[in-house]
Parts: sequence; C-alpha cells; structure tokens
Amino acid sequence: MRRQFRDTIMDLASRDPDIVMIFGDVSVYLFNDFKEKYPDRFYNLGICENTMISVGAGLSAQGIFPFVHTIAPFITERSYEQIKLDMCYNRFGGNIVSCGASFDYAWDGATHHAYTDLAILRLLPEMEVLQPGSRKELDVLIRSQYRNGKATYFRLSDHPHAIDIPVAFGKGVVIEDRRSDVTVMTAGPILENVHAACRGLNVNLVYFHTIKPIDRDLIRRYQDTQIVVIQDAFGLQAAICEVPNVKTVSYGVSDRFHCCYGTLQDVRRTLGLDVDSIRAYLKQLVS
Amino acid sequence: MNEVCKGIRKEILRIAKESGHGHIPTCFSIVESLYAVYESIRHDPRRPLWEDRDIFILSKGHGALAHYCVLAHHGYFPGQGLVSFGSFGSTFGCHADRFKVAGIEASTGSLGHGIGLAVGMALALKIRRSDRRVVTLIGDGEANEGSVWESTLVASHLKLNNLAIIYDDNQSHGRGLQIRNAADKFRAFDCYVTETEGHDVNALKEALSKRAGQVHVIVAHTCKGFGCSTLIKGQYEWHRKSPNDEEYKTLTRELDEAAV
Repeated sequence: MRRQFRDTIMDLASRDPDIVMIFGDVSVYLFNDFKEKYPDRFYNLGICENTMISVGAGLSAQGIFPFVHTIAPFITERSYEQIKLDMCYNRFGGNIVSCGASFDYAWDGATHHAYTDLAILRLLPEMEVLQPGSRKELDVLIRSQYRNGKATYFRLSDHPHAIDIPVAFGKGVVIEDRRSDVTVMTAGPILENVHAACRGLNVNLVYFHTIKPIDRDLIRRYQDTQIVVIQDAFGLQAAICEVPNVKTVSYGVSDRFHCCYGTLQDVRRTLGLDVDSIRAYLKQLVS
Repeated sequence: MNEVCKGIRKEILRIAKESGHGHIPTCFSIVESLYAVYESIRHDPRRPLWEDRDIFILSKGHGALAHYCVLAHHGYFPGQGLVSFGSFGSTFGCHADRFKVAGIEASTGSLGHGIGLAVGMALALKIRRSDRRVVTLIGDGEANEGSVWESTLVASHLKLNNLAIIYDDNQSHGRGLQIRNAADKFRAFDCYVTETEGHDVNALKEALSKRAGQVHVIVAHTCKGFGCSTLIKGQYEWHRKSPNDEEYKTLTRELDEAAV
C-alpha cells in the first residue's frame, strides 16, 4: 500500500505544486524519485513526530497541502495534542499518513502495535479518519480528500485486502446482503479474513473504509439486525454506536497489550481474527 | 521604562482588575518584546490578513492580555472591548483564539506548540521564496517542553534564516526545571544568538533588525512583573491573580513611580 501511496502522490504532485512531503525517516527510499524531482517539497525531519505535525500545520497555514508520514503509534499517540491543537483547533489541516497499522509490525512487539489510533483521532472535532483496506481505496480516498483543508488521517497497511469494491469517501459498502438478522460490520484490511469467514453463512456483511464521518444511513438500514463488529483496532464499534438505538457486540481486538512477536497472522490468531476462528464464532452466533 | 510600554502596563492592570483575570507578571515581562515586534515587522493593522505581512506568534499563550493591549495600541481593534477579557462570550479569552481577534495568527495556550507552528510557517515562506519572515516569542518555563528543542533543531536543520525566536528569560524556569545558559544551548543548536536587555525597546528593535544567516534567537533578559515591586516580590501569589481596589492602587502607584 505504501507503493500505492508513492504512485498516487507522484501523480498528484506533477499537477499540484502545493503538495509538500514531511517524513519521519520512514519510507524515504520509496520517495527517492519525488525527492529528485521536487527537492524543495521533500523534507525528512528525522525522529520528531510532535514537530512533524506542528510543521505540517504551519505549512498548511500558508496554503500548502502537507503529507506527514511515519509509523502509526508515534505519529498519532505521541503527537495527539499537536494534531488536536495545531491542526484541528487552529484549522491548519493536513494529511497524516501512517504505516504499521494494527499489528503489521508484529515482530517488533507492543511498542509498535497501533490499535488505538482510529479511536482517539475520531474524537477530534472536524477530523477525518480513513482506514483504506486496499490500494484502490487508498488511491481514491487520497485524491478525494487531500485538499479538503481538514486534518485527515490515512492509515496504511502492508497487508491490504484484494477485494474490489466501489469507493467513495464517507460511504460504507454492502458486500453481502442475505436479508439475515445478523450483520457483520468491519473495516480495513481485515476484510480479507472476514469476507472469507462469512462465505456461505447466513449473515450480511458491511464494510467501512471511512471511520469518520461514519456512514450513518447505511448503519440505520441494519439497525434492527444483530450487529457484530469485527475489528483489529478500536474505533469502528464506537463510530457505529453513534447512531441512536444501535446495539452491537464486538469481536477481535481486546483490552490488553499483546506481548508477543512473530507475524501479523500470529497476532491475529491470538485475537481470534484468523479465518477459522472468525468463522467458528459466526457459526455459533447464527445457529 | 518606555512611556508607551508604561501605558500598556496600565491598561493590562486596569483590564485585569475589571475582568477578574490575571497573568499580570508574565504579561509585564513581555510588554517591550511585543511592542518592539510590532514596531519592527511588516504589518498593517487595517489589513490583518495582508498577504505580504510578516507573522508573529505568541507561543507562551498565557501572555495574551499583553498581546491584546499591544495589538490595540497599534490599531488592530479598539481597546474598550478588552474589559470583557476572559468572560463568557468575550472575543478576548485568557488564551487567544485566532478566529476571534484580528492580528492573532495562531491560537496558542498549551506550551511548546507555537514555536513548531512558526517553524512550519517559516518553511512555507521559504518554499514560496517569499521575503516575509516569522517571529515567535517563547517563555523560559515553556522551554522545559521537549517540543521547543525539537522545533529549534528542525529550524536549524532547515536553515530557516527567516525565523526569529524571542526567548523571554524571566527566570520562570527557576521554579522548576532550570535552564542554565540558554544562549549557549541555542548556539549549540546552531542558532545565531543575540542577548539583550528585554525591557529596552531600542535594543530589542536593533536585535530584531538583524538578518542572521541562520535561525536567530534573541535571548531577552527580563523580569517577571517588571515595573511593580509588589509583583516581582510576590510572583507565586500574583501568577493568575486579579487585583482588588487597594492592590490596584498600589500597583498603579508603583508603575507611576517607575522612571521613564
């Protein structure tokens, strides 16, 4: 997905001189062509996430459309107040693009896991929170939103799903509607596993790449069904529950540190987010 | 004491008394710095959003009352409305809102943020090859924040010679985490440093007129509560306090007695 990020930016930057890239010493090599082509619009500021956000906000104040990019927990949790005050409160919006979604950096342990970012950022007024699950979703959403003047969060994963769905900012997608009284709602790359787990089961499947603003109209369509939120990060369930009279149960990420290493698949297995575990849970629910 | 700055201090006192809100000592330490800034930068109070203006950001946002009084003095808005300072529905909060007050470039309050914004703005002006410049004022207590030093490091790395940082060295840091030899620390961050008497308007203006080839830090040696011995002696008590009638008389008398 990072390569798609680069490709989309390279295309946009050729036509938009107001795009400026701020890096936290991550993905820099991927943007070598950008650096060579636009040396005045490429800045690797090193390891200083707080200042990266403030600098992005300052650039935005002068009419530039910054993209600030580094690893998810550091650019969101560490820099939360800079995002809140410098970008949101001052309305010096900018694009925050993270990598290392959820448990992408499984082998690095709990310091590098990112599962609160969506939940905390969606609390900030006028912030837009996006969790593209595929390269196509990333491409469409960046093109659609990067000049909106708001603080906008794009959460990249190195493990995108491969399901082709229509993409429009703020719109959820009905993947399956079996007129079931159970509706599975999910977001981001974990769709791959959820989709496979739902195959042949009598459940509806609804997907979101936009966590804020959440597609309330779509949620209302299913509010009389039992809604099961399958999530590998906090935030989606809380967003869904903003709709009055909606009741949900959640499955997946839990209230604990995940003190293990290995691969993304290893961590997902411990959370019951592998295909077999999800399917077993849903089968029990449907029966 | 500069005559205009004495008048601004009297305004600060009057508004603090009428409104019931304070931060008087910290305001008194930056009056000359603020006045010198608006006497030095390119700006037009009739056109606060003039596209060729220089930019000033008060990073130590709790000095907002002094900032309002200096802006009013320069004609950004009438000073009469300032008595509503800090009240519900007022334009003038104890920390400034850039959407409410002409001349305020950034809403600040949480310390260590304004300087980072200033760095971003200065970088933007460099990218645009503009000759506009950015000045920010930070407190020495504020410089306990790591973000101040991160921002300074980034500004030096980016060679932002269009950025001036006024460091209000009013010894607030002495209450807690001390920053000894601030000038040396900024030099170690590859900044060009000018040390000056922070209550001397001409010295501050001269410092601000310098065009260093690198980030320019002006270490302004100031006194918290400057002009009123009562404030200087009672900094803890007066940090946020508003004077009652008797105290107001005392403080006004002390100001009147200060030599011009």
